[in-house]
Amino acid sequence: MKKLLLVFFLLVCQFGLAQTDIKREVIGRDIGQLKGIQISGRIIDEITGEALAGATVTVPELNINRITDNNGAFQLILDRAEYNLQFRYVGYETVDYPITAVGDGRISIKMIQEDFQLDDVVIYGSDPDKNIRSTDMGAITMSMNTMRELPPFLGEVDIIRSLATLPGVSQVGEAAAGLNVRGGGADQNLIQFAGAPIYNPTHLFGLFTSFNADAVNGVTLYKSVIPARFGGRGSSILDIQPKAGSIAKWGGDLMVSNFSGKVGINGPIVKDKVSIRGGFRGSYINWFLGSLSNPDLKNSSANFYDGNLVISAPISENNEFTYSYYTSYDDFAFASDTTVSWKNNSHSLQWKSIINDKIGLEVMGYYTQYDYSIFNRSGINDFDLNSGIKDYGIKAYFYYKFSESNKITVGGDFKNLELQPGELIPSQGVESGILPQKVQDEFGRESGVHFQHEFEIGEKFGMSYGARYDMYGYYGPRVVREYAENQPLSDGTAISETTYGDGSEIQTYNGLGPRGSLRYSFSKSSSIKLGYNKMYQFIHLISNTATIAPTDVWKLSDNYLEPQIVDQISLGFYNNFRGNIFETSIEVYYKDIQNVIEYKDGANLILQNNLETELVPANGKAYGVELYVKKNLGRLTGWASYTYSRSLRQVITPFEEEIINDGEWYASNYDKPHDFTLIGNYKISTNTSISATFGYSTGRPVTFPEAKFDYSGNNLAYFNRRNEQRLPDFHRLDFSVNFKLPGKGKFYDGDWTFSILNVYGRKNPFSLFFVDEQGAPPQALRLAVLGVPLPSISYSIKF
Amino acid sequence: MLRKYLYLLLILPLAACIDPYSVEVEEGEQLLTVEGIITTTPGSQSIRLTRSDTYGSVFEGLIRPVSNATVIIRDDEGQVTFLSEDTEDRGVYFTSENFAAKMGRSYTLQIQLIDGKVYTSFPELVNPVPRIKNIETKVVKIAVEGEVLERSGVQLIAELDDPADQNNFYFWRTDQSTYVLKTRPDLYTPRPSDTNPSRDPQPKDCCNVCFKTELLGNSGIYLEKDDIFNGLSTKVPAGFIEDDGKRFVETLRTDLMQLSISQEAYRFLRLVKQQSEISGSVFDPPPANIRGNMISLDNPEEVILGYFIAAGETSKRIYIQGDELDFRQPVVIVPDDCREIEGSNIDPPSDWNP
Repeated sequence: MKKLLLVFFLLVCQFGLAQTDIKREVIGRDIGQLKGIQISGRIIDEITGEALAGATVTVPELNINRITDNNGAFQLILDRAEYNLQFRYVGYETVDYPITAVGDGRISIKMIQEDFQLDDVVIYGSDPDKNIRSTDMGAITMSMNTMRELPPFLGEVDIIRSLATLPGVSQVGEAAAGLNVRGGGADQNLIQFAGAPIYNPTHLFGLFTSFNADAVNGVTLYKSVIPARFGGRGSSILDIQPKAGSIAKWGGDLMVSNFSGKVGINGPIVKDKVSIRGGFRGSYINWFLGSLSNPDLKNSSANFYDGNLVISAPISENNEFTYSYYTSYDDFAFASDTTVSWKNNSHSLQWKSIINDKIGLEVMGYYTQYDYSIFNRSGINDFDLNSGIKDYGIKAYFYYKFSESNKITVGGDFKNLELQPGELIPSQGVESGILPQKVQDEFGRESGVHFQHEFEIGEKFGMSYGARYDMYGYYGPRVVREYAENQPLSDGTAISETTYGDGSEIQTYNGLGPRGSLRYSFSKSSSIKLGYNKMYQFIHLISNTATIAPTDVWKLSDNYLEPQIVDQISLGFYNNFRGNIFETSIEVYYKDIQNVIEYKDGANLILQNNLETELVPANGKAYGVELYVKKNLGRLTGWASYTYSRSLRQVITPFEEEIINDGEWYASNYDKPHDFTLIGNYKISTNTSISATFGYSTGRPVTFPEAKFDYSGNNLAYFNRRNEQRLPDFHRLDFSVNFKLPGKGKFYDGDWTFSILNVYGRKNPFSLFFVDEQGAPPQALRLAVLGVPLPSISYSIKF
Repeated sequence: MLRKYLYLLLILPLAACIDPYSVEVEEGEQLLTVEGIITTTPGSQSIRLTRSDTYGSVFEGLIRPVSNATVIIRDDEGQVTFLSEDTEDRGVYFTSENFAAKMGRSYTLQIQLIDGKVYTSFPELVNPVPRIKNIETKVVKIAVEGEVLERSGVQLIAELDDPADQNNFYFWRTDQSTYVLKTRPDLYTPRPSDTNPSRDPQPKDCCNVCFKTELLGNSGIYLEKDDIFNGLSTKVPAGFIEDDGKRFVETLRTDLMQLSISQEAYRFLRLVKQQSEISGSVFDPPPANIRGNMISLDNPEEVILGYFIAAGETSKRIYIQGDELDFRQPVVIVPDDCREIEGSNIDPPSDWNP
């Protein structure tokens, strides 16, 4: 009997063991291969079938981590053995997946979203200790899930505003479009969607970012050492990746808020092969502008929309084509007969190929167009003023992996730029007393070749070095002025003109931009990194305001306007605590900027054929220290960041009338020394979470008048030295609640988001200006864009 | 109830607001400010000298005149004109009654203050100016926050033939206007007093129709350069007369002056215009240092504000009939003898010819 029992137990044991053996999937056809077994796979959402990009694949036995690409794909090279694979993704349940690798094969993983599980909410950016191990410096990847946890702006997840909560990234003010990264101007950031540059990423004069969060997979901002494959802008690259549709089933989403609504649909055109995703967002702000009491707003009108389309076709296991289209449109008439409108259109086609486990390549082409217009319909001298940019190019690179930790990337790119800086067209049909006028078009070509080598020496050292050689040419047809020597450039000092023919070269600039970074790891959870980076920029935003406006002019480098050259050196220390629950970093940087643009007093930029007469070259420098603490796990997650930085300018020319502030260094428009952000997200229950954001920064520099004087009945201010005073400090608290109402059925099961921006109604001044009206003492007035608490509500469902 | 809250929710946003803010501005120097235009139209022409003040200073922006200076205008042929200070309006210096700048001549303004400091302008060339062919009018309405009634007024649109062979910079201003003022002497009600405690109207016998002459207030700076209409016959907004409920009851007459100024003067006035239109908005240009054309001969570092302009000038007269306007303000009732109103006269001007 005893024996029998033992046998029974053994059997049970055997059975149990056998069962675990069944769960361990055998991968590959066993042909006796021992090493270099290639396992590729793809991770998708079990419900929607969407690819999960940026998910982590861990092989604990080998202590390696891989991140899935935009299509959720990953690749592992393993020896013949048993492994306990782990798949993790933000907001999804972790999947344990034991395998026995015996030959080349494929795994398909389906992950399921965890709906606010109380105990173990994992909010990893992507790879939990990527910040420590990678040699990348200052590359910040923000997942859409992280952005969704921030209080939304007018009911919408706003990519640019979300990024401005990170250290070293700021915005000029509450209605300012564009980012200022480590003391650089808004035009020093290359914002690209699916690889195509976007020139005006805003709606409603900068109140909204014009990217629909539902069409975006992830966002990466490179702010210190920029990979060599990127070039052409001085401060940063903001790479926005589109989200591919599901290859498994059709689905969609719908959102309405009190300002705008959006709808999206995605699914397989060819099941398991070709997917499509389309999205559209539009505003319905007009009807309520009309209900406002402020007469200026009452008589205003605004429209905007944006749309996306992504078609993704993995034509074979290792070859994938992705086509992406993006469009946005805006028009705005601010209490007048003048309408301002702008639109972006961009197409890109990408081909990714993995040739074998060592070599892969990526080729992409894009076409992007940005048009902006001002329409005057006042009844006198009606006109259209049209401007635009056409930009198309191709990029290609391939990589070769000597080993998993030794990789070389080589590539090149070419782009063609056509700028139409302004064309004035008198309205047809109406008798118009103005002449058609056209500023000369500009033609430029930018190309670059680059290589980068990343490798690790043992556990402790990692290194990446590379360089990019930029070549730029400025071409005719164009009439170029020459000016008298030793005199400031002005209409009065022009002496002759040279006519350049179609396609003839007017000016070229070339430059070598080395990049490099070095990592030393003290342990698995702490490291120190050093980086250096040189960037060239050949296109400039000539703006007379502190932000990106539709009245701005883009200008290519020519024989007078030299390329901006940015040198940056940075040093960082990174430490994670308690199993990556806490992530901390300290980074310091110093930046030197050559040929940044400043303006002569009262510069006239519109319809200006000779912009060189209105501009002066300046030197710039920026430096700062950035502190960052992030809590990744638990009911309470969030981060705190503090930046101390300066961004300075200096204008010295041989001509006294052009010198600004006596040639001394002065604060740039976006110099905000102290900048602090605190963000928290707290899960109250399975269905409810709250989040809050607090931001504080030093007020931006402004120019106060030194005196007031009277001229022909006008009380005027005399300004002398620029940017010597500051606006009052900026601080603001935003708050939001996200909840689901218990209920069943597709249309009741959505997410409600209620948010209040500027909870305590701080009147943060965007500007101070001086008004001196008769009958009242002269005084300073402030304009606050968000002067009151601003609530919004939105409801979204997925189907 | 719910609807009301929903409405509130939608209204609150975009409530950008502007309110006073107190800042401390350092007390600056009081800079000499020069203001003056001489033109080809004969008459007594004036130059005004003042001192700038600081925002928020004790005197709250009191602009002080500069008196007892020696002011002369010199042309490029060496002819000198002395200006004499007005005995009433201090700081304003006048030429003789029949002074006129000559076309093609250039002029410099020279000033010596009582402390001996000497200032001069750069030479200003007097450019020819085409005549105004015609003046059109257009009613413009301006919405006002918190008021049901919009403000309104008449925009003057000058029509001119721009000469093709020159680069022209135009500046327009209005001179004195005269209009038919209608009052209601029958409703005259004096302030109750001990001697006359009645609160009832005490009609006067006369008069209900007068001609009132006034200087129109400052209503914007009108400038244009011919870049966009060189050689064309064009129409340009050149002035604005606000409807105060009295001016357009019957007929208003005004003279529109068209001046041809130098490129530098244009740049100066453009900056003045730009600054006077600043609203603090996101799209405002940054404040600019408005440099004038005066320099100190003693201290080249000294900043002198303002501009001395010499210009060719033509003018055109227009009579505007109130009943031809498509929108007018409600008539303001003046319950008195019209002769009591400042600047009015029972007789029409000798050249009144509507």
